Amino acid sequence: MEQHELLEMRGITKEFPGVKALDGVNLTVRAGTVHALMGENGAGKSTLMKCLFGIYSKDSGTITLDGKEVNFKSSKEALENGVAMVHQELNQALTRTVKDNLWLGRYPKVGGFIVSERIMDQRTKEIFDTLEVSVNPKAVMSTLPVSQRQMVEIAKAVSYDSKIIVFDEPTSSLTEAEVEHLFRIIDMLKKKGCGIIYISHKMDEILRISDEVTIMRDGTWVATRPAKELTMEEIIRLMVGRELTNRFPPKTNKPGDVILDVQHISGKYTRLKDATFQLRQGEVLGIAGLDGSGRTEVLENLFGAMTREGGTITLHGKEIRNRNPQESIKNGFALLTEERRATGIFGIRDIRENTVVSSLKDYLLGGICLSDKKMKEKTDWSIQAMHIKTPSQKTQIRSLSGGNQQKVIIGRWLLTKPEVLLLDEPTRGIDVGAKYEIYQLIIDLAKEGKGVIMVSSEMPELLGVCDRIIVMSGGQVAGEVDAKNTSQEEILTLAAKYV
Amino acid sequence: MKKYLALALAATMSVGLLAGCGGTPAASNPGSGSGSGSSAGSGSGAQTSDLKVGVFYYNFADAYISTVRAAMDAKLDALGVQYQNFDAQTNQATQTDSINTAITDGYDLLIVNVVENASPEAAQGVVDVAKNAGIPVIFFNRDFDVSVLQSYENSAFVGTDPAEAGHMQGKAIGEYLLANYDAVDLNGDGEISYVMFKGQEGNPEAEFRTQFGVEDADAVLTAAGKPALKFYDANNADKYLVDQTGAWSAQAATDYMNTILGQYNEGNGNMIELVIANNDNMAEGAIAALQTVGYNMEGGSKTIPVFGVDALASAVEKIDAGIMTGTVKQDGEAMAATIVTLVENVLNGEELMANTDQYILATGEDGAEIANKILVPYSLVGGEA
Amino acid sequence: MSNESKELAAKAHRFGGKKPSDLLLDNALYILMIIAVIYIQFFRNSNFLMPASLVNILSQTAAYLPAALGIAGCIVLTGTDLSAGRAVGITACISASLLQKVGSSSKMWPEIGTLPVPVVILIAVALGAAIGAFNGFFVAKFKLHPFIVTLGTQLILYSCLLLYVNMGNNGGMAISSLDATYTDFIKGSLPFAQVPTGTNAAGETIYTPIPNYVWIAIGLTVLMWFIWNKTTFGKNMFALGANEEAARVSGVNVFKTTVMVFALAGAMYGWTGFVEGARIGSNTANTGFNYELDAIAACVIGGISFVGGIGKIRGIIIGVLLLRLIFVGLNMAYVPQDLIYMVKGGIILFACALDMRKYLVKK
Repeated sequence: MEQHELLEMRGITKEFPGVKALDGVNLTVRAGTVHALMGENGAGKSTLMKCLFGIYSKDSGTITLDGKEVNFKSSKEALENGVAMVHQELNQALTRTVKDNLWLGRYPKVGGFIVSERIMDQRTKEIFDTLEVSVNPKAVMSTLPVSQRQMVEIAKAVSYDSKIIVFDEPTSSLTEAEVEHLFRIIDMLKKKGCGIIYISHKMDEILRISDEVTIMRDGTWVATRPAKELTMEEIIRLMVGRELTNRFPPKTNKPGDVILDVQHISGKYTRLKDATFQLRQGEVLGIAGLDGSGRTEVLENLFGAMTREGGTITLHGKEIRNRNPQESIKNGFALLTEERRATGIFGIRDIRENTVVSSLKDYLLGGICLSDKKMKEKTDWSIQAMHIKTPSQKTQIRSLSGGNQQKVIIGRWLLTKPEVLLLDEPTRGIDVGAKYEIYQLIIDLAKEGKGVIMVSSEMPELLGVCDRIIVMSGGQVAGEVDAKNTSQEEILTLAAKYV
Repeated sequence: MKKYLALALAATMSVGLLAGCGGTPAASNPGSGSGSGSSAGSGSGAQTSDLKVGVFYYNFADAYISTVRAAMDAKLDALGVQYQNFDAQTNQATQTDSINTAITDGYDLLIVNVVENASPEAAQGVVDVAKNAGIPVIFFNRDFDVSVLQSYENSAFVGTDPAEAGHMQGKAIGEYLLANYDAVDLNGDGEISYVMFKGQEGNPEAEFRTQFGVEDADAVLTAAGKPALKFYDANNADKYLVDQTGAWSAQAATDYMNTILGQYNEGNGNMIELVIANNDNMAEGAIAALQTVGYNMEGGSKTIPVFGVDALASAVEKIDAGIMTGTVKQDGEAMAATIVTLVENVLNGEELMANTDQYILATGEDGAEIANKILVPYSLVGGEA
Repeated sequence: MSNESKELAAKAHRFGGKKPSDLLLDNALYILMIIAVIYIQFFRNSNFLMPASLVNILSQTAAYLPAALGIAGCIVLTGTDLSAGRAVGITACISASLLQKVGSSSKMWPEIGTLPVPVVILIAVALGAAIGAFNGFFVAKFKLHPFIVTLGTQLILYSCLLLYVNMGNNGGMAISSLDATYTDFIKGSLPFAQVPTGTNAAGETIYTPIPNYVWIAIGLTVLMWFIWNKTTFGKNMFALGANEEAARVSGVNVFKTTVMVFALAGAMYGWTGFVEGARIGSNTANTGFNYELDAIAACVIGGISFVGGIGKIRGIIIGVLLLRLIFVGLNMAYVPQDLIYMVKGGIILFACALDMRKYLVKK
């Protein structure tokens, strides 16, 4: 079957004040194929899609859809012309129901302006049945787990009956089973003759489902190749622009004596049940598990960000309580949160403020006035030690890349002189190149004698960086493995233990 | 569940409605005074009567009204009637709602300090509902067209002659200036430059005080061969500054005065030489502003004459201390005493206007006395040359 | 039963089957209200729930309801509207000035006679809507917070109001001497809308009329319920309040929806102004002052959350009713007026804290 060109974007250029975000980018998507779009964060993938979708207006270049030149002024226009998108950030009206979200912007009407709940229910049932999605259409969005919300978002994009569907990092919050489900949906769409644009950082996904791959770097087009001809190493080489021989730095840390002993902690309002584990000095302890298995809850519970019910925490043989983050920080704990943008950075504030915010009392002169000089010194130290690439200390943190933002936050916590670092998905949404640097930082910290507990949904990362890994399942500790003598299969088996 | 409770509430209310239809509610027969007499009135002590009195003030925050309220509370307590005070917060809608509520609650007498008195409609509305309910109503302080009083025999008004305070203030100013002309005329240009602070637009008392406070002073001055007062800002055709919120507030006067003093001061040779205010609140506000630039300090040497109305205790203190010049006493105590005389009449089942021979009655445009409109006289405080 | 539906049923059970303590807290406001009503009725003042009093509460609720219904939309969009009071003031003054008695000496516009009532309603509502649209335009176009925009509009409107009352024949006086067609339309009552409230000395039944504006307020409530729940505009409004970006990428015309929400609110103020003009009968630049504060208070008590995207018409009615019950009930319970504001403030804080409790995710 001849797969005709459904969408052609040619010479797309987009400039923001001071930055050329896109420079003459080309992208051609054929009907009935999956076209992967890859590149490091900041390479311009999302910007390109926003130009297509009418959220940004491109400066130059042409977009041809089904042989006709188009130039969408708004999302509404794009949707009406058969271009739909599953956005990277979940953009949903959380206080509204599933079906209200599903048909937002195109409620079925009778008499011009009255919404027909009957037609809405019927169509919701149709689309959910076709896609085998089992979500209660009348449930309020905020009561659903993130993965179900993501499935609603996917169903919504499909329901537009579009010719082109863009998936921007759709699997970041899906469980394995749901990812398989998504791939079945994508397969179905392919058979219908849709063109799929698939953006992801996960190489194995890309190699598995895509037909063609376009790689971007620094706002420019690098290559478009059939997926069959590509290997993981080749993609990384094209994305980073250089050979990346080792994905993980050598492990040079040596675990010592147990410093932290956690016995039978449970969450009062969360599903965490009876978790017991130890952490050694200079050790990187991994926490694995499926989404919703209680990984994050272990860290937040330990840090006092969630209400604890029972259990004891002993640090250096002394029982501590960690009732709230303030107390935990005082006890030498630090937590790098999962959602960097939402709970990590203060986006519009500068690097210096983001660096010193957790250790402000160290810079007081006479107990009242903050010393600019001290703050500058410490920030300089952090920038150097963390290898943060920034024009100055006064740069807004949101203008940095994800990796550099993450390094600023790690620097922030190191200034509180923690003994136990709790890292929740430290490399989420970070480029391949920058990930290596974060791994290096983690191992260096352990080498200096800190205890590190690290949660990650990427199994290879845990295997490459950690010494031991505990596996969570259904809110409980399902088992503990030695990182050197285990396999992904073993971890997955444990992760499924209490599901 | 919430739904059911809302329903339960609605049900409770409708049951009440139905139950009410069946029985003979006390509320429908307020004249008999058979309301729920068991409950104690606010602040009322020894209670000997079933008479339920509602007192509706236009604004609790008004300083003069507060003095009337304090006096009235004491006298009503002594009388032993049940009474409840209501605050309209300068909002006629609130007052109308309060009065309707009181009527449904079987009140036997309304004492009303009406909010909107720039036209008679609001007062007429009160008379209409009172008449309908068959209960007497006594208005006080804020005056309105006399036709309202004439429309209901069981109504009365206790107030002051709105023009009198203005006349009294103007005459005092004129006489004070004659005695101290050169001292007051700071720049020695032979003219007295003044500012007038008006309490509210459209309020008859404010209108009269603004007009006569200056006109009568001018009359005294010109009769003695002196030039008339000169408004400090020749560009202001109104010749007054008004509290835009209509609250007669000290704050408005302070803000105006501070602004004025930036531009008009002794350094520029155009200092304000006289401050006239519609009430003491505004006079005191002006003094506060003057004090920030060193005038009218206790024991200070430079004092700008400031005249107000109401004779609030704090204003009288200022006059005694020499930092304010004069005020006209609108006697809150006497006002309350007069009103309570009428309340006593109602209590004893006499005519509303019985036992009022000692009071001064207002006269209409035709010169004839209005039988149910009592005027409480003003008196001058301070202002002596 | 399939596995899925079992799971759904289990979930539904979990959400419905709350702990009794939660149930009490979630409905604390209603429970307190009922207790207060019962207490006042049986221990303080038996007149409270008499028919005449109930008609009074009903009338007052109806008078304040439309403005609250309007402002609620602005709050659903995470905004507010501080210009409501002045918008009520200006539409009240204009309505009154166009409907003064012919031949009255204080008639503001002697040359235009008395207009038909429907024409003036149209003018008042259209003017209100225009004011609202003006607010909405600045909010939507320049992304200004409604607090700022409506603060500006409030001041501008006050100037317009001061200028207006000085126009024509009026010269700053109160606008009154209203035509009977106007006052009857608002304050009059239909023949059947007479509630027997007792008997007089002669044994005749006394009737308390239900004023016409009560029926109109009920009509407006139904209309607003319909708009909020059954129209695309209503659903878009909630989506916009819950997540503006989501609405935008889903193809909702954010600009148009915002302007329409504010314009609808304005139309409600226009109506309120028209009613107040006749209800009070004497209209000055002070008319409508601070109306927005009571309307906003009613909304937040009724669960229209400043978080955005949350609220029900039922809540607004409860909110307005509760404020009126406070007003009437506390007076009837002989609570000193000085303390009433404290009770009102306390209830606002209590209600909102309770409300927020529902949306806080416990960790």
